[in-house]
Amino acid sequence: MLVHVPGPWSPLLGRLALSEIPYKNLILAPLFVLIVLVGLALVGWITKRGLWGYLWREWFTTVDHKKLGIMYIFLGLVMLFRGFIDGLMIRTQQMLAVGPGDNGIKAMGAIHGYLTPFHFGQIYSAHGLIMILLAATPLLVGLMNIIVPLQIGARDMAFPYLNALGFWITAAGAALIMISLFVGDFSHNGWFGYAPIFEMSYSPGVGVDYWIWTLELIALGTTLGSINFLATVVKMRAPGMTWGRLPVFTWSAVSANIIALTSFPCLQVALALVGADRYLGTHFFTAGFGGNLMLYTNLFWLWGHPEVYFVILPAFGMLGEIIPTFSEKPLFGYVAMVLATFAIAGVSWIVWLHHFFTMGMGPYVSTEFSVATMLVGIPTGVKVFNWAFTMYRGRISYTAAMHWALGALFLLLIGGLTGMMLSIPAINYMVHNSVFVVAHFHMMLLCIVYAVFGAVIYWWPKVFGFRLNEAWGKIMFWLFSAGTALVFIPMFMLGFMGETRRLDWPFDPHWAGLFDVQEFGIAIYVLSVVSFVVLLFVSIRDRAKERVGADAWGTSRSLEWLTDSPVPFYNFAMVPEINARDEVAWRREHGFLDIRPDHYKAIHMPNNTPVALYIGATLFLLGFALTWRIWWLSGIALLATVALMIWRSAKGDPGYVISAEEIARLDREARQKMPVDGGDTVPVGGFAGGQIMAYSREVSDQDRSHRGPKSW
Amino acid sequence: MSSSETVVDPDKVRLWSEDYEGHDVISTRTFGFWMYVLSDAMLFATLFAAYGVLSYPHSYYTGPTPAQFVAPWYTFVQTMALFLSVLVYGWAMASLKDGNKSGVINGLLGALVLGILFLALDIHDVMRLVAAGITPEVSGGLSAFYCLTQVHAAHIFAGLIWIIVMLWQVARKGFTEDVVGRLISLRMFWQFQAVMWVFIYVFVYLWGYMS
Amino acid sequence: MSHGHVNPIDHPEVQMASRRGYMTGFILASVLMALATFLVSSHALPPFALLLAIMACAGFAVIAQVYFLLHIDISEHNIWNTVALVAFIPLFVITIGLTWWMFSQLYLRTMPMIPGMPGMH
Repeated sequence: MLVHVPGPWSPLLGRLALSEIPYKNLILAPLFVLIVLVGLALVGWITKRGLWGYLWREWFTTVDHKKLGIMYIFLGLVMLFRGFIDGLMIRTQQMLAVGPGDNGIKAMGAIHGYLTPFHFGQIYSAHGLIMILLAATPLLVGLMNIIVPLQIGARDMAFPYLNALGFWITAAGAALIMISLFVGDFSHNGWFGYAPIFEMSYSPGVGVDYWIWTLELIALGTTLGSINFLATVVKMRAPGMTWGRLPVFTWSAVSANIIALTSFPCLQVALALVGADRYLGTHFFTAGFGGNLMLYTNLFWLWGHPEVYFVILPAFGMLGEIIPTFSEKPLFGYVAMVLATFAIAGVSWIVWLHHFFTMGMGPYVSTEFSVATMLVGIPTGVKVFNWAFTMYRGRISYTAAMHWALGALFLLLIGGLTGMMLSIPAINYMVHNSVFVVAHFHMMLLCIVYAVFGAVIYWWPKVFGFRLNEAWGKIMFWLFSAGTALVFIPMFMLGFMGETRRLDWPFDPHWAGLFDVQEFGIAIYVLSVVSFVVLLFVSIRDRAKERVGADAWGTSRSLEWLTDSPVPFYNFAMVPEINARDEVAWRREHGFLDIRPDHYKAIHMPNNTPVALYIGATLFLLGFALTWRIWWLSGIALLATVALMIWRSAKGDPGYVISAEEIARLDREARQKMPVDGGDTVPVGGFAGGQIMAYSREVSDQDRSHRGPKSW
Repeated sequence: MSSSETVVDPDKVRLWSEDYEGHDVISTRTFGFWMYVLSDAMLFATLFAAYGVLSYPHSYYTGPTPAQFVAPWYTFVQTMALFLSVLVYGWAMASLKDGNKSGVINGLLGALVLGILFLALDIHDVMRLVAAGITPEVSGGLSAFYCLTQVHAAHIFAGLIWIIVMLWQVARKGFTEDVVGRLISLRMFWQFQAVMWVFIYVFVYLWGYMS
Repeated sequence: MSHGHVNPIDHPEVQMASRRGYMTGFILASVLMALATFLVSSHALPPFALLLAIMACAGFAVIAQVYFLLHIDISEHNIWNTVALVAFIPLFVITIGLTWWMFSQLYLRTMPMIPGMPGMH
């Protein structure tokens, strides 16, 4: 049953051996030393400051949606950086290796440029996988995690523990792909995998196995998260928050998570079947024995295309919040916007074949998918016009967040129009697998990145209580935009000149100039990364000056701006009653914005738990052990996972209750700390929630009698 | 949407909800679990898509096709074992309605025994096939056949573990909010396995047998 | 929160359980499956009619189970489950249907179905 692996295998260590650690590699070995040194310094610093207990109590074991959101965003930014470095290495290789005259840097074992083809393959595979699933996805999930419960007036997500579980499983996936840098190899088959190259006969190493288990873990984490979001929005809206009053970002989160819930199982199946081929010797995707290699491509894109909309729709939602705030007008065409969002989500399910028009299934099938792909343009166009009409005759303030939002609109236009070109099979046949396609989807994904940076700047004061530095935000924007133009405009041109994607050796010397321009663009991207670090540093240093109240921008509209900044761990001292679609704007118009509740009620909150972290750790071990075929460890990790779940289920979490008097005291203190006109109080703690553990305790019988819904 | 022209009386407007009782914990939980069940159904749908593509004559390479090894009436016995298990679980839920603890425990035990019977029949069937050299390594078509049927069996196995856990929790904790919520979720999970089995039985076993 | 503890057994989703409903669902599904098995094992119909007949059996059995067992209806406490299911059903059809269509077209063009090929019957 089990497939015989080439090379050594031992019962104790599986395929793991010292030779699998690339200590002779001139790039990886110094990088490993650097990471170990930085890691040791970090551990030393945390120990010296005595922060371990704080990190454990407030972050690692938290079930607070805001803190989990921050951790998601942190993970996303770290992986965005890793993916960016991969991109930088790809660009540098192509710049160095161009033309027949290039002989490569012999000291590094390269035939062309400075990377061996095998290493180059791993880099572009990791770049794609990381950017889509470990940078874009966690960034968006993190922002939804923070904002969605606040926008609907909920105290937390529907399943706080499940929320933590989703995060730690995603983090386990990130850890697995990171460890593949230094132990063994990563897949060299592209981020979506080519059948049948990923079969055991053609890829005998562990790279493909790392790829399978990383993807499976992330898919599991994201599916759990999507269930949580949908249950939250359906069941936990505050009184008066009807569907017609739901903020557009929450609407986009609903549609995106419907997509995630329905499409991620397809990815899990596709990858599990690859795993079955590699581990059990089945013939799903083999070239012979009755397998069908295009079936893999079909199953992968069955998930892959809805996934594209899973990442773009929340970004559209963010633009729908940022643009009205800084135009001082309500969003134009709310209903049309929501309908367009769901139209995109629906159509996203019938277009996946456009990723492999060249398969050869004939004109009827191609026509259906071509027309469906063109249909996407209609609701997207509706959205673009709605944003434009929102700005029309508005009082636009060109803040840093607005810069990013407007930049996203331009990228959406370029990406959308090139997408329309690609939806025509005749054109698609010409440019299939060229870098024209690569440039197209980078426009779309950068549209997401722009929206995310805009959203981070926009919602930062809500989470941390102070605004980010405007000047550095704009500097970063212009540097980033210059980089985008310089890297991707030449890429569109190269696509038309016939450059196929994933070339470790671009053979045509005429391309050299454009590769040099792209490398220059990447250098400017590096500057924008530096300016991001400066932005954070300057903003945190000057946070006292940028301290804000509940309504950080003064023109904001939706419900999250009603509660204090930073948001207290119980979100709302009293659950608000919703009176209008843009509740905060409505209260501001009628002069109710500063009115606080005059009495309070007890609040029931969930306790922190380390179980989610433990399950993340056991699943990481499971992925690692399966990759290296260490069967005993796989068994133990799986059993430990199940045992932890059963143990947690037996233990349960009765939560704890904060009394009405306590809430009154906390709210009074928050009011005193809150500057009326941007005063100079430095926020205590400086993060969402403040000290939670002070309230977390074992539940008493009295608490038990205080809980549960009553009005069924 | 109200605009600034509308005058709102500040004494009458409700800004904070006085009587909001929080969300319904059991309903939220069953809705969340139902969404998991649906995503699981999507997983099966994807497997069916794969099975459809891999059940052409050429998919079986030189190996046997289901027409040569499926025994419809044997699998019908399996079907009845699963349906009965689901029915007995339903009786457990009807006993729960009256707070009848021994009724719930007996129902869970009955569902457990019948579920084990289903799984034993399945394993016996697989062993019969393997003994005849009909294994998933033979062809893509057989890979898909085994995958679809055994993924369902794996779900049954997980469900059996869950039933054992719930037996212990019902006996130990009684009908707390957590336990009741889990019993409802398990009911949906178990019934869903019967629904999926209808598709697998008809479209994999029966259809495979007749083509 | 001045309310006392409420017995979770009184929750409507517990109270909706029905011995009679579960029995009805069981009998309907079992009879339909027995019928399908009988039709197939006795080859009572020509192949295409047989396929349609067992598809009908499967369809009715599933509807019976979903309605009587899973309580998918439009009552107040089940409506969201029903909405979720209704949202999913087109996606099941798309996933399976478009994939089968796509590959049948592909096979038409790439896999000559030679009579007498191994596995052909």
